[in-house]
Amino acid sequence: MLQKMLKPVSFFLVFSFLLLDFSVQTAHAQMIDTSTVIAAQKKNTDRKQVAAFLGREDVQQVMMQQGIDAVEAQKRVASLSDAELAKISQAMEQLPAGGDGIGTIVGAAVFIFVVLLITDILGLTHVFSFVNHRR
Amino acid sequence: MSFPLSITAVKHLFLSRFLQAGNRTIAGLLLLALPAFLSGCGPISSGRLPQNPNSPPRAMVAGVPFFAQEDLQCGPAALAMTLHWSGLAVQPSDLAPEVFSPGLQGSLQSSLVGAARRHGRVAYPIAGSESLLAEISAGNPVIVLVNLGFFWYPKWHYAVAIGFDQGLGEVILHSGVNPNEHLSSRVFLNIWERGEYWGLLVLPPDRLPAGVTEEAWLEAVAGLERAEQWREAAIGYDTALKRWKQSFGAWMGLGNSRYGLRDHAGAAKAFRRATLLQPENGMAFNNLAHILSEQGKRKEALAAAQRAVELGGPLLDSFRQTLEKIKAMPVLKNNRKRGK
Repeated sequence: MLQKMLKPVSFFLVFSFLLLDFSVQTAHAQMIDTSTVIAAQKKNTDRKQVAAFLGREDVQQVMMQQGIDAVEAQKRVASLSDAELAKISQAMEQLPAGGDGIGTIVGAAVFIFVVLLITDILGLTHVFSFVNHRR
Repeated sequence: MSFPLSITAVKHLFLSRFLQAGNRTIAGLLLLALPAFLSGCGPISSGRLPQNPNSPPRAMVAGVPFFAQEDLQCGPAALAMTLHWSGLAVQPSDLAPEVFSPGLQGSLQSSLVGAARRHGRVAYPIAGSESLLAEISAGNPVIVLVNLGFFWYPKWHYAVAIGFDQGLGEVILHSGVNPNEHLSSRVFLNIWERGEYWGLLVLPPDRLPAGVTEEAWLEAVAGLERAEQWREAAIGYDTALKRWKQSFGAWMGLGNSRYGLRDHAGAAKAFRRATLLQPENGMAFNNLAHILSEQGKRKEALAAAQRAVELGGPLLDSFRQTLEKIKAMPVLKNNRKRGK
């Protein structure tokens, strides 16, 4: 019984494996769809936003207190990956523009968090264990 | 340092004693309270909104019809109300097959989004009470996802927020079987918080939300493209271009939508505008090349594809494929158009 089954089953399995698509994201000669365009534009904005943030005077002050060279930080931002930049800019969106007493304290905490997150990713500080360092 | 510690210790002592002595009483009380939450997609019981200086004291969206929901059908009912408001005469029963998942005894947020798109409407998610008040003030009803129970006993429910009164501290909802239900904003914010303040606008593609951002609008309109609602998507991008004239994404989207509509001349125009806005970006050249090649303008198509490859970037492989494809196309057939 088992012997009889073996052949058709193995043929079936071999055939099924042949149907599997092992290709790794092959490029097609296609129109670039709008979602891809929007995602690419967002990456550019992320990069500009983080660079502008590091250029701010209060940010530079926090970095100085941490003993970080602001010029060095700016240089390293350019080498960050898109995913890392997306993470930072997401954290930056939570920075309040201003506000009452409580808002400022919360804001300051988030602000320092963002600065440290950036400098951690850059490998200038090591505050958060979840940040993976390259090398 | 010792002060807060002692407080927690007292709390623990108090709680454990209370639990030992009153386990049954608490269980009984919980059981009594549960039926109020058990009715999934049911009416909400009544109970203030934080004062918001940026919004008017009260507002009410006109022209939102009410559909009483059938059992568990709050998703289709909520979507039908907003679609009606947006100008589409759709009944909840028409939407049920598109939205309701029988296995889940409810409707997923993504199903609502998808169904709105299939009907040619822009599904634009919002979050938080500030956005909610702003949209209602601007005359846009908002589908809200609330949890009538607790996180450990969730009773999910969709309602349509159509008004508020900051003075009285009320939010006005079409919810379940209750039209124009006035709900204390304190209760509303409690149950909405458990829904992570998720709200959804269902808009005609020529109507921008009050708190719109370019990126979020373009993403929402791109959803219409995925639903192959090309005409509505094109209107959505046109509307974006009225507000953000230099939007590269909107010109690209407009080109793609016009291509979907088989308007090759219009698509080529849009992609050309995109190449002018970001001459360093190969994506617009790539798409332009495809259109030109389909129009039979082989020489121009080759030039555009070549430009995309030269500019490179993360999509270089796709650009190369485009160039190869155009190179491989037969030349003879399109000879007559080459004079231009």
